[in-house]
Amino acid sequence: MMTPKNNIIIGIIVALLVVTSYNIDANPFDFAEGIPNLAIILEEMVAVEPKYIPTALWAMFETIQMAFIGTVVGVVIALPLSMLAARNLNSKFVYAPIRALLAAIRTFPSILWAILFVIMVGLGPFAGVLAVIMYTIGFVAKLQYESIEAIDSDPVDAVSSIGVSKWQLIRYVVIPESAPHLLSQILYMFDYNIRQTSILGLVGAGGIGFYIINYIKFFEYGKAAIFMLVVLVTVLIIDWVSVKIRDKYIMKSQHGMEVTTK
Amino acid sequence: MKQIQMTKNPSFSLISTNKIIQLNDIWTSYDSKIFALEGINMSIDRGANYAIVGQSGSGKSTLLKLMNGMMIPSKGTIKIDYVTPNMNDKKFKKMMHTIGYIPQSLGLIKNITVLDNILIGALPRLNKLQSLFKQFPESEIKEAKRIMELVGLDGKENRKAYMLSGGEKRRVVIARALMQKPTILLADEIVSELDHVTAHEIMDLIADAQKRMNLTAIMVHHDIQLALEYANRVAVIKDGQKILEIGVEGDSIVDFQTGDMTNEEIMEMYYDDSKK
Ligand SMILES: Nc1ncnc2c1ncn2[C@@H]1O[C@H](COP(=O)(O)OP(=O)(O)O)[C@@H](O)[C@H]1O
Ligand SMILES: [Mg+2]
Repeated sequence: MMTPKNNIIIGIIVALLVVTSYNIDANPFDFAEGIPNLAIILEEMVAVEPKYIPTALWAMFETIQMAFIGTVVGVVIALPLSMLAARNLNSKFVYAPIRALLAAIRTFPSILWAILFVIMVGLGPFAGVLAVIMYTIGFVAKLQYESIEAIDSDPVDAVSSIGVSKWQLIRYVVIPESAPHLLSQILYMFDYNIRQTSILGLVGAGGIGFYIINYIKFFEYGKAAIFMLVVLVTVLIIDWVSVKIRDKYIMKSQHGMEVTTK
Repeated sequence: MKQIQMTKNPSFSLISTNKIIQLNDIWTSYDSKIFALEGINMSIDRGANYAIVGQSGSGKSTLLKLMNGMMIPSKGTIKIDYVTPNMNDKKFKKMMHTIGYIPQSLGLIKNITVLDNILIGALPRLNKLQSLFKQFPESEIKEAKRIMELVGLDGKENRKAYMLSGGEKRRVVIARALMQKPTILLADEIVSELDHVTAHEIMDLIADAQKRMNLTAIMVHHDIQLALEYANRVAVIKDGQKILEIGVEGDSIVDFQTGDMTNEEIMEMYYDDSKK
């Protein structure tokens, strides 16, 4: 294991770590010194008046609504795109440009989309919703064309041998066969979108993040922390709920899929 | 008897009226080097129950795929009712609406119900709007239910396909094929994996459907006994060649390929072959 070559590589990595940390001013001692600040924030949190809690919950609710709209609209746009992007359904002239477009959409992190839309439509939740839509399109379309490409080719062959049209094939075979994956993908995406919508406010695109960044700007760390706690709890709840839904509906159908024709 | 029937129809030529499928010196390959089929000749009577048997890898499935246009031969001609099978050809694609094809893997859609699987057979009869909104006419649903009763699936219409037993799955794919109002049924080893009793039930079902509809069945089998029990003709395929074509007449097995083999010689030849 510890060949001279490995030693050299480890040496280089350690050296790079030191140099880059120095460059970006990352000092472990600063971190240690900062720990007592947490106690101060905790103190401030306890001191925050309870009347802020409904505000925090309302802001979280706004965030969830943004994520909801973004997910639904994004999925609706992503589905036809994924059909066009699937290699087993289209010629290269169709799927190649669509895939390139989707890849381009995905290269932008959602926060950059949010900045772009804040510039386009102004500050507020609408910019955030648009960002979530873009991000959802890029991801769900990819997940979905991959599951379309992975569907069992036997029913596809059997039904195409009836001489049905391509749209019938998609409507009656491809969609039902890839539907169980779609449900779990949508749940995953909604879950993910709630988390990312929580931070889109940092660039002015609405939701709970907008409050958090403003409290931080005015050094009201206690309030910021309360709002962050609300995000944390909400995400945990949503995670738990979506695991339950997935267990109930998706595990069942996937179990069914394992039952072979034999 | 069939010939007499056919002469009544003036649009058919007398020589080949009763031949619904004709294969003439068919050669096929998946990858240019090896041939999966080597010079197959076959001609199948309208209304016949024709069986194809042979060892695994001998080319049986390939033969069926040629007959439904999913594959195109590298050499030779195939005619199904005077049309060359090719799924990219408009005219043949229309014929495919009434060719029931059941692959070895059955090709059921696992997460939808029995009824929905069967209705797939009626898709060619829907218009664009109906098929977009999944609006099957009442008459088609009635027909599907009638067929379900026929194949012994009544009461199971809302069962998801993956929940079915092996025998029930076969009944569903047969019902799907019957829903096509087929003139030809191509079935690839659909009873090979079943127990003896269930296999016979399924075969009886097809024989029964054949009697009701004027159906030509071409069925691939693993078991030559079963094939002889149900088929008018049995073609034995070995390494891509048809080595035998036999049938039962009365108590004896008749050799239709060379015409001069005895019963014992035929069985010996087959069993020698299947022992290898
Ligand atoms: N998709 C394929 N690609 C390449 N070779 C194939 C393919 N399908 C079948 N073959 C080959 O063609 C021959 C005949 O196969 P097949 O018709 O499936 O035989 P059978 O149905 O009698 O078991 C075999 O040698 C098999 O390996
Ligand atoms: Mg086979």
